[in-house]
Amino acid sequence: MSNFLDICEKAIAGPIMSEKDFDMKIFMPKLKELVRKFGITYDKENPVPCDDQAADNLFQASLEFLESVGIYCQDTNRLIKFTKEEILDGIAKAPGKCFMGEGKDAKVFGMRKPDDMKIPWLHVGSGIVSTTEEMITNKIEAYASIPEVDSISIPALDSIRGIPVAAGSPVELYAAIRGVKIGRDALIRAGRPGLPICNLVSTAASAVTTIAASAPQFGLRPSDGWLCGTVAENKLEYGTMNKIAYLLNWGANVGAETAPILGGYCGGPAGTAIASTAYMMIGILAFKASYQLHFPVHFKYGCSTTRDVLWVVAASCQAASRNIPMPVIWLGYMAGGPNTKMYFYESAAWLLAATASGAPSVQTPHSAKAVLIDGFTPMECQFGVDMAKAATKCDRKQANELVKKLLEKYESRIDNAPSGDRYQDCYNVTTGKPSDAYVLLEKEVKEELSGLGISFA
Amino acid sequence: MDKSQILEKLTAVVIDGTEEEAKTLAQAAVASNIDPLEAIEQGLSKGMTVIGSKFECGDAYLPELLMAAAGFNAAMAVLKPVIDAQKKKVEKFGKVLIGTVKGDVHSIGKDIVASVLDTSGFDVVDMGVDNPSLNIIQEAEKIQADVIALSSVMTTTMPAQREVIETLKEMGIRQQYFVIIGGGPVNQEWADRIGADGYGKSAIDAVALAKGLLAKKK
Repeated sequence: MSNFLDICEKAIAGPIMSEKDFDMKIFMPKLKELVRKFGITYDKENPVPCDDQAADNLFQASLEFLESVGIYCQDTNRLIKFTKEEILDGIAKAPGKCFMGEGKDAKVFGMRKPDDMKIPWLHVGSGIVSTTEEMITNKIEAYASIPEVDSISIPALDSIRGIPVAAGSPVELYAAIRGVKIGRDALIRAGRPGLPICNLVSTAASAVTTIAASAPQFGLRPSDGWLCGTVAENKLEYGTMNKIAYLLNWGANVGAETAPILGGYCGGPAGTAIASTAYMMIGILAFKASYQLHFPVHFKYGCSTTRDVLWVVAASCQAASRNIPMPVIWLGYMAGGPNTKMYFYESAAWLLAATASGAPSVQTPHSAKAVLIDGFTPMECQFGVDMAKAATKCDRKQANELVKKLLEKYESRIDNAPSGDRYQDCYNVTTGKPSDAYVLLEKEVKEELSGLGISFA
Repeated sequence: MDKSQILEKLTAVVIDGTEEEAKTLAQAAVASNIDPLEAIEQGLSKGMTVIGSKFECGDAYLPELLMAAAGFNAAMAVLKPVIDAQKKKVEKFGKVLIGTVKGDVHSIGKDIVASVLDTSGFDVVDMGVDNPSLNIIQEAEKIQADVIALSSVMTTTMPAQREVIETLKEMGIRQQYFVIIGGGPVNQEWADRIGADGYGKSAIDAVALAKGLLAKKK
């Protein structure tokens, strides 16, 4: 298997073409062709498919897709191409696990299979949902206080000292460093100093900020995890490659961050499922990643809980977990916000689809499409943990039936979903406890879900 | 083929054809002495309207939209010289400068809006991604844009949309441009807060918004 310098070499020596030609003449036509060739079909009646042969067929389609299309480097305008042999060799030699955390919280993050009853790696927290400086510590401490948590996702800071954080600015640098230090301190306050932070560096949009904030004196360790993102679709740029180069030299966990967009260049659900599966191979080959954060999203609705995206999640998760040894954290964006029933219905549906399909890990589903500042609370984290555990008691057939019932409860409202409350509107900011009303709402929803057949016991 | 057949095929080729087929049909329209403006309005644009509606309701996706735009533009490349020779003009609603703001490299939404604006009768100049505010303003001045359309897909890059508007005010030229904004985390409340002239949730919204603003200007 090649090392990252080989990828850098491919980026400067591969076939040259414009980005527009890559999109219009390579990426889109190839996906359309392979959807037809392999008969990849979106089944809207069954958002959680239960067909191992179809999953393996999808994997084969994605293998041929990656071999044909490669990855586009935006800085060199060249294709990073892999032969089929290179791809298969990469898959064969991928470890399928990584080591995260320190001390009592040091664990192995490994694989699951569809219908697996093993509880997925529980990655908890708010990620890209921005927070204000006043709220951040309470939140992280609360996330880390959930006993079952395996890793933490710390929020991005929206502003510091009232100054908005603008991407690429020195204020972003200050905020990134501050966020990292606050994060580590909050984990200590929760009694979990060894818990890995796996969404580094959340406040940093730019590579230079990520690398600066990662200096060990600010508290980060190689056993944490850093997210390095592709650009939709199948594109890399030097900023991300610089981050990867730095982290690999340190021996830190590189997390490939990938997000196929249904309705964008991938087209409809079938094409998106092929691209989605291929991304896990990109994580192994191009990123040399220890793990991956993956979140298919609908272009128009900005969320992951439409029927077609649920199908993409389930189908590509099954194809990947059966064939590609990459520990993936699957993440969903919910349309509904905190303190709404809709959020819980969507979260339940999404977690059922992903967990039953073999997701190695699930993250707390993001609320209100991750665009409401302070629009994420520890309640969503606790519910996500409870729901993921409950979902392991369902196989794909059962999950499919439950997801269909849940879709009836929220599907028609996706376009006008309630954005819900901010943390400070439904939590006591001094005690860090949820309001009685929010506690009651969550209890009511759990009773309703139990009535559908979901077991939280 | 008679005139009505050619016009129907021009509509159909935009919906589901190739650039080559669109070019051939445009040449057929010219050879048949069909008024090129009629070929656009009664042929090509009807096809774009169909694709635009399908895209809005989820029956078509970006690939179909971009293929349609490519076919439309391939046909236009044949028809435009004929229009020029006849000393006619394709009426444009106005000139739109579109780009993603500084620090943001997301482009898909912006590409869709640019494509739909272009095929809906606007002159569109696309600046791409990660554009410093002053660069956007200088380009707007250079091309004499009517509308500046700003895309931001991250909460951390939204402030750059405000920065463009504030910089226009500082330069004393805010009134010369309509500024419309869009992107995942953006909403009407944000548009109102920063003094934008409008917010478009979708590409079709952006077209209606731009048309409405420019109609007021006239």
